[in-house]
Amino acid sequence: MKHEVTEQGTVIIVGLEGDVDLQSSGEARKILLECAKQKKPILVDLSKVDYIDSSGIASLVEALQTTRKGGSDLALVSVSEAALRVLELARLDKVFIICASIDEGVQKIG
Amino acid sequence: MHSIAMNNARTQIDQSKDVMSRISGHLELLSDMGQDFATSFDIDVTLSHGLERITNYVGAEGGALFLLNDEGRKLTCTASVGPIEIIGLTLGSDEGIVGRCVQDDTGEIVRDAAKDPKFKNAVDAETGFSTRSILCAPMSVKGEKIGAIELVNKKGGDGLFDNNDLFLLQSLSSSAALAIINARMAEALVEQERVRRELELAAEIQRSLLPAAGDDDFPIHGVNCPARTVSGDFYDFFPLADGRICFNLGDVSGKGMNAALLMAKTASLYRCLGKTIHEPGKLLAKINDEVCETVTRGMFVTMVGGIYDPATGKVRLANAGHEPPLFLSTDGSYTAIPAEAPPIGISPILSSGGGIPEIELDLAGGTLYVFTDGVTEGYLEDGSEMEVDGLKKLLIDNASLSAAERLQAVIACISREGIALRDDLTLLAIDDALQSAGRDKAPPATGGDGDAEKTMLHLKFPSQPDRLKLVRNAVYDTALLCGCSEAVARDIVIAIDEACQNVIRHAYKGSPDGEVVLDINREGESIVLMLQDYADSVDVSTIKPRALDDVRPGGLGTHFIREIMDEVDFVPPPGGTGNLLRMAKKIS
Repeated sequence: MKHEVTEQGTVIIVGLEGDVDLQSSGEARKILLECAKQKKPILVDLSKVDYIDSSGIASLVEALQTTRKGGSDLALVSVSEAALRVLELARLDKVFIICASIDEGVQKIG
Repeated sequence: MHSIAMNNARTQIDQSKDVMSRISGHLELLSDMGQDFATSFDIDVTLSHGLERITNYVGAEGGALFLLNDEGRKLTCTASVGPIEIIGLTLGSDEGIVGRCVQDDTGEIVRDAAKDPKFKNAVDAETGFSTRSILCAPMSVKGEKIGAIELVNKKGGDGLFDNNDLFLLQSLSSSAALAIINARMAEALVEQERVRRELELAAEIQRSLLPAAGDDDFPIHGVNCPARTVSGDFYDFFPLADGRICFNLGDVSGKGMNAALLMAKTASLYRCLGKTIHEPGKLLAKINDEVCETVTRGMFVTMVGGIYDPATGKVRLANAGHEPPLFLSTDGSYTAIPAEAPPIGISPILSSGGGIPEIELDLAGGTLYVFTDGVTEGYLEDGSEMEVDGLKKLLIDNASLSAAERLQAVIACISREGIALRDDLTLLAIDDALQSAGRDKAPPATGGDGDAEKTMLHLKFPSQPDRLKLVRNAVYDTALLCGCSEAVARDIVIAIDEACQNVIRHAYKGSPDGEVVLDINREGESIVLMLQDYADSVDVSTIKPRALDDVRPGGLGTHFIREIMDEVDFVPPPGGTGNLLRMAKKIS
């Protein structure tokens, strides 16, 4: 799994790439929680995620909860087909704010 | 002389005028009250009104109407007129003058009550009333004693009642008696009608619990013919998401309303739980748990539950104390499937140890008949019982008919016009003939037997997270090779990935030295994945899918597996060590 953290205005953008599975979800969790602590809105770009498992989804849920506790919000952006299927299986597609693009995400939660 | 004669004549005329006017007064009163009684909507009001009129007409100080009750043992005053209100006053049925009048069914005039040994002084003592003379007439219809009307103390004149008074009171008490009987019969009729209507409603609701008949080519047909309005028997069938059909047939001990209610409960439990529990043995055990918790002592349900797979012709069956179902194979031989457990509602023990034993049956074009003992114990036209042999013969004799027609033929032998049924009749047929013909036409997937296995992949790997990507890729390609669509293959990948994670995290507790073996087979129309580890046995019950509205990290994997795969079971591992998880999914 690769990742990239950038900022656009006050919004943190976390891009994940490749497979977020048992091997890499620990790392993904660390990155996401690190960002969540900054109490800024977060966009997680899932466009390049080929595979995400339940542990990866769990990291996203934890990051969402931490961000909201900090008074901010977290949205998913450009969710890949593979990631969307797992979100649907978890019935979390209604829990997360899902945006088509980074611009839309910045508008929604920025 | 002349004037005396004139006076006498005038007196005679006056007297006959008196008699005439008295008779016409009597008739008017009788006619009025007869009319009142006949058209009464509220018999109590009419009687009380009638008593008042007769008391005034005869010129008595008081009047009372007594009715027999408590199965004729007591006489109670239900209406009273006069200075003392005695409604509710109760005497023994032969007590007092009124009691004697009722028992002898004769009216009487008592000129001096105090001198009559039967007179109840106690009533006067209590009420402060002074009873001098009494007129009493019984109320009875065709020898059926109902009560009596009593008038006391004639006002004016010599203060005594005469025969005219008695005659009048007797006429009135007769029509009052008739009115009371009529009112009681009407009340009973209304009550009967109400009960009948409620029973019909109950029957209608019960019929709605039975499944709608399928098309002629639907493999399962049932019929239920209640002995009374409502039935203690039931059957049901409904398709599962994977194309298999869940069915059941049951017989509640006893007949009538209590049996019907337990029937409704058991049938509802089966339909509800049957949608998620796809193992008949476990399902019946679960229903047993529920029924045992609340069932009325002494009531129980014999029941057969099963799942039929039209794709393979196989039936999995569990029998809790029910009449053995009969399997008629295509070669004309019968196999009876006896009960392997006591009826439902007897003992909660059933549920321990994984439920009621299941039997697997390959119908292979044959038919499975499930029925209640009302059928085998039903009377034939010659007065003998149908018995199992009679049923077997009848079904073979009618083999050329459709399954639904065959069941009707059986019913027609037992349920005949004008003959009351001895017990509810219920039959269910699971007919594999058409489905089997369809299967034969389809090219055999793996060479003949639908159960034939074809090994697609055998993979052994260490319990390390960095091997999961490799496993995912291999499983994805294997699923495509089996004929799965890309979407199904991707789903299967999610399931196997999560199952491997469970092995790594829970069975081997993160240790990287464990060995994991994955076999993928194609079995008929299904892809079957067998995942084996050699760690200590996992207590399966502790791995539970989490509630989805509980949004928190962790515990999702098991939910994904169950959501994606059609069948997920831990099966006994060969050699008895470790854990073997079997997951199956329909390819199309």
